[in-house]
Amino acid sequence: MNRVLSLRFLFALAVALVGAYALYASLEWPFRTALFPRLIGIPLLALSLLEMLLSLVSAEKEREGHAVDFEMTTDVAPPLARRRTLAILSWIVGFLAFILVFGFPIAVPLFVFLYLKLVGKEGWVLTLSLTLVSWLTMEGLFNRLLHLPFPEGWIFALWS
Amino acid sequence: MFESFVEGLFVVLQWQPFLIMLMGIALGFWVGLLPGLGGSTTLALMLPFIYKMTPVEAFAFLLGMHSVVSTTGDITSVLFGVPGEGTTAATILDGHAMAKKGEAGRALGAALMSSLVGALVGAFALALAIPVVRPLVLTFGAPELFMLAVVGIAFISSLSGQGGRALLRGFLAGLVGLVFAMVGQDPQAGVQRFTFGQLYLWGGLDLVPVLVGLFAIPEIVDLAVRGTSIAGELPQGNLGKGAWEGVKDTFRHFWLTIRCSLVGTFIGIMPGLGGGVAQWIAYGHAVQAARDLKEREGFGKGDVRGVLGPGAANNSKEGGALIPTIAFGVPGSSAMAILLGAFFLQGITPGPDMLDKHLTLTFSMVWTMVIANVVTVAVSFFFLNQLAKLTLVRGAVLIPFILFLAFIGSYTSNNHLGDLVVFLACGSLGYVMIRCGWPRAPLVLGFVLGKIAENNFYISTIRYGSSWLLRPVVLILVLLTLAVIVYPLIRMRNRDATPEKAA
Repeated sequence: MNRVLSLRFLFALAVALVGAYALYASLEWPFRTALFPRLIGIPLLALSLLEMLLSLVSAEKEREGHAVDFEMTTDVAPPLARRRTLAILSWIVGFLAFILVFGFPIAVPLFVFLYLKLVGKEGWVLTLSLTLVSWLTMEGLFNRLLHLPFPEGWIFALWS
Repeated sequence: MFESFVEGLFVVLQWQPFLIMLMGIALGFWVGLLPGLGGSTTLALMLPFIYKMTPVEAFAFLLGMHSVVSTTGDITSVLFGVPGEGTTAATILDGHAMAKKGEAGRALGAALMSSLVGALVGAFALALAIPVVRPLVLTFGAPELFMLAVVGIAFISSLSGQGGRALLRGFLAGLVGLVFAMVGQDPQAGVQRFTFGQLYLWGGLDLVPVLVGLFAIPEIVDLAVRGTSIAGELPQGNLGKGAWEGVKDTFRHFWLTIRCSLVGTFIGIMPGLGGGVAQWIAYGHAVQAARDLKEREGFGKGDVRGVLGPGAANNSKEGGALIPTIAFGVPGSSAMAILLGAFFLQGITPGPDMLDKHLTLTFSMVWTMVIANVVTVAVSFFFLNQLAKLTLVRGAVLIPFILFLAFIGSYTSNNHLGDLVVFLACGSLGYVMIRCGWPRAPLVLGFVLGKIAENNFYISTIRYGSSWLLRPVVLILVLLTLAVIVYPLIRMRNRDATPEKAA
């Protein structure tokens, strides 16, 4: 049961579903549109089913399966690591929400200020200085110099 | 010819072109540092400014800017784990891992010096290859280009981990990348694929939010979980000293650097493949250089060779990409397609004239690439120690700024809020991949190569039926693909069998 609920199994299952959907969707497309999705979808489905099966039936050899990639830290106790992971993911999603609600020019300094004060517990001088730097970068470089078209936040759209 | 070669240097060193080149370099320096602001976009933005310039000044400006973007992009990749450029993502794998070990200076030194070597090799190849490159480009038709994409994905997948299971995951990641590349309007019939009724997805997924999400989010989560600075609790003294060590590393692994530079040049020459591909193939080649499995396990965890390979290739590919652009008017990458526009704006037609009438101008381009990279690397070395110290800043202070750069970098690719959703989705995917031990490199390569592979597969099938599989170069590439897949398995099997025999 543990292996069925393991992240590895569930991830392989998700990839298998992507492969299956690619094949299913290709049924309605003309041949030339469907050719490549089928060429890719068939091995994707087959190999992900194999990965699912392997996740269920066999434990990995000690040195197998290690990706040439970085690995998450293991120096922090798992409950603390979980708590911190959830916290940072909430902040990331929160940043997106700030951008949608207030627009980039306000969301950026607001996020920097709140993160430094609430998570970093930094002093007022550092927090306000870095907030000012972020605002200057946002306003000076991206808005005034590069003229990037930032959409208005929802809150301002509602007012106007 | 030699006269033109020397004249090309003197033309660039005249005060006006030289000053304009320095302006281009300064612009490219900052564009490279900022994630999301791509070299190609900046080239396009700068095109209107060249109207009043002479051809030498125009190309000194544009090439001076473009040829240093990858060099400084490596700096952002190493320090923050956020790709400064799409072409510098591979540097993150080992470069940022080195920064986490307190070796930021060494990683930066290695990245910059290998970039310089790569740029010199690319420029040298450009100078040498123009008269002889025609047969090579003509040998590679659609079937060969498709197979080259397959070899690339097989190569990076097989080198992405240990044993059959890792090979399986590597291939799966590559296939997922190919599926990502299918999102949007299909290039053959114009049918919408996997767009779910969203107008934003009609043009397909953009490389920048995908890359920034895949690489930045897992690094930010890890930094937050550790609760320290990027370099952890390491003594401050080691950081700056490493820069010179990184330079020495380049010469310690000189042949690897040269080989990866040649890989970059070759991929640059091939129309359509570009720098996104070159860095990963070079990374794969660097991993392959590991003498044994234990050494290979060190890749992704801070092996300097993982910095040298992509560092060299993403600069040498510029020289390579200029070869077909100048010689035939066939751009090797999107940036070169924009540069091609600059040729026409200046009233110059690429082709045989560039080897005859405009030979001095051609060599001035070679010299611009050389001088721009020498200047950039020299200037960067003055700041390296200070830059490396950024890895000692507390995570809680850095994180909001890294997130700011990542969000704005993703947004600037299309100036669409959908980019932010793609960024977050790919960030989540990258995080889960890391947790599950899936390599991200094959996914990126699959994504980058997807459209090229599909177009060339379609053209091959329609034009040649199944007979394209029997073309000599295709057969060689099929055998190479099989070798790339089977060889690591045999090596693993032999390794497993050895202790049993000994027992």
